[in-house]
Amino acid sequence: MNARIIEHPILGKIEKGRLVEFSYNDTKLNGYEGEPISAALKAAGVMVHRHTQKQGAPRGVFCAIGRCTDCVMVVDGKANVRTCITPLTDGMIVQTQYGVSAKNHQGAEERS
Amino acid sequence: MKRYDLIVVGAGPAGLSAAIEAAKCGLQVIVFDENANPGGQLFKQVHKFFGSKEHKAKIRGFRIGEQLLVEANQLGVQVVLNATVAGLFQDKEITVRINDGIYHYKGDTIIVATGASENATAFEGWTLPGVIGAGAAQTMMNLHGIVPGSKVLMLGSGNVGLVVSYQLLQVGCEVVALADAAPRVGGYGVHAAKLTRTGVPFYLSHTIIKAEGSDCVTGVTIGAVDKAWKLIPGTEKHFAVDTICVAVGLSPMAQILSAAGCSMEESQSKGGYVPVCDEYGETSIAGVFVAGDVSGVEEASSAMIEGRIAGIAVAEYLGFIDKTVLTQKTLELESALSTLRQGMFAIENRGKILEKTDEGYDVSLHLLQKGYLTEEEVMQYPGVTKQQGVHAVIECSQNIPCNPCQDACPKQCIKVGDNITSLPVIDEAAVCIGCGLCVAACSGQAIFLVDENYEDGYASITLPYEFLPLPAKGNAGWALDRSGQKVCKAEVVKVNTASAFDRTNLLTIKVPVEMAMKARFFKGGDCHA
Repeated sequence: MNARIIEHPILGKIEKGRLVEFSYNDTKLNGYEGEPISAALKAAGVMVHRHTQKQGAPRGVFCAIGRCTDCVMVVDGKANVRTCITPLTDGMIVQTQYGVSAKNHQGAEERS
Repeated sequence: MKRYDLIVVGAGPAGLSAAIEAAKCGLQVIVFDENANPGGQLFKQVHKFFGSKEHKAKIRGFRIGEQLLVEANQLGVQVVLNATVAGLFQDKEITVRINDGIYHYKGDTIIVATGASENATAFEGWTLPGVIGAGAAQTMMNLHGIVPGSKVLMLGSGNVGLVVSYQLLQVGCEVVALADAAPRVGGYGVHAAKLTRTGVPFYLSHTIIKAEGSDCVTGVTIGAVDKAWKLIPGTEKHFAVDTICVAVGLSPMAQILSAAGCSMEESQSKGGYVPVCDEYGETSIAGVFVAGDVSGVEEASSAMIEGRIAGIAVAEYLGFIDKTVLTQKTLELESALSTLRQGMFAIENRGKILEKTDEGYDVSLHLLQKGYLTEEEVMQYPGVTKQQGVHAVIECSQNIPCNPCQDACPKQCIKVGDNITSLPVIDEAAVCIGCGLCVAACSGQAIFLVDENYEDGYASITLPYEFLPLPAKGNAGWALDRSGQKVCKAEVVKVNTASAFDRTNLLTIKVPVEMAMKARFFKGGDCHA
């Protein structure tokens, strides 16, 4: 499934910003400048944004409006960034968050 | 510290409307909003609004948002975005967080229009990625152009659940089921019928038992509940889905008001913990007003009127206008507001089982339990008649505040009357010209043009169609009935995309004449299958 809507029956052609490259963990992905980081990730099929501190449980987008904080990730080295309301920029470094860091101390990655 | 006549918290429909009215009265107004874009939820609302002309009926939500922004801009209203109001203190001072700084502002008056947030509900697996709020789905698809999922289960049959399900279909998602623990559909029957005729099955008295998946949702199990909301063993149903949408209501976001010391009340009918306020929205703190969902969850149409009233009241509070002007200006608005609050879905009717419409027609239990009217039921309503030649068939069976159909008809075939919650009545003495304006104007997409004399043995049905790809004249496919079942082969004989219809395209299909009162949707595809 193509996760990007090209043309909407009511909104028409969907206008997007400039196509930029960003890194997601160790891979390079593309997204549109200015769209929420979570939108670019979703378009690339990324569902898991973080693993919880104690149980390593996977979490992703829930509210998409910056309220619930379930979608936080490590962005440009800073933890707890709400990816659903933070605009994507060229060359951004986006990492899965484990607890409150980008390092997987508990081996949650291996487990999942 | 900067000082303003009025500080508005929230640039949604209520806040912008309040700012506009206050600015019209000469106040210097500033609006703060924590989001990157103004308009609140309006820009996610791609459907046509209900109400009458004064409520901007039949205009799509996002266009109303655009209008509000233009108006606010013309009046010099300052809107500051990415600005979170963090506290409301003595003497109407506020603190605002912008980037990493905290700034102080003082308002001679404050209007809090912070809206509401979506409720969540817990079930096994509810924290898995792929379980999202219905509002989140709306944000993804209508604001950011991202399809929320390929196969979706919707939990909740209120208007949000119904409208978002329809919007999911519009971007190509498959809505595999709509479930609600309540025994009856909570939202408008017309919104439900838009889904069922495309084939979305409704499971009332059903709840989610479990969301499955290790890293993200891969399936869901639902089950029937009894009157005490207890699961009935053996009723489990499994669906392979990648997305579960949760639409279980909204709660007012009034934290800033309770922290400021406003008198608050817990109100079930208003959706939660809300400030006590008077008819103008003034709270227990003089000069602090509220408007919109923060003071009771309703919808954007009423929020905009509440905002306008509060904006005018603030002008009077500060002496920009006198009391008589306030009364004059708000009289019309109060009446517009009360019109919206009439009918079967009025606050005082919440939780009640209504068996008859205001006119005395039976309310369809089938509609409430399955999401569509049966053919037998549909025939009783005053918008449904049998006539020679082309005529409108209005499958509107609930008293909801809406009358664009009456305004749309150039031949006065449709009468709603002054009471806009009345069911539309077809005047058989007036002659339908088949223009289809009513079909496109009906926000509930409940109007069809039927011509049983289209061709020998064939009837034509004109239906509203808001999906892509748009079928073309000559396309063959299936006619679906109100439940979404294929009932016969159908051929598209006309496609009308007039700009006056605002993207509600009119599809005219040809079906055997005995299907005239059955066929209500078209699905293209191979008829030999």
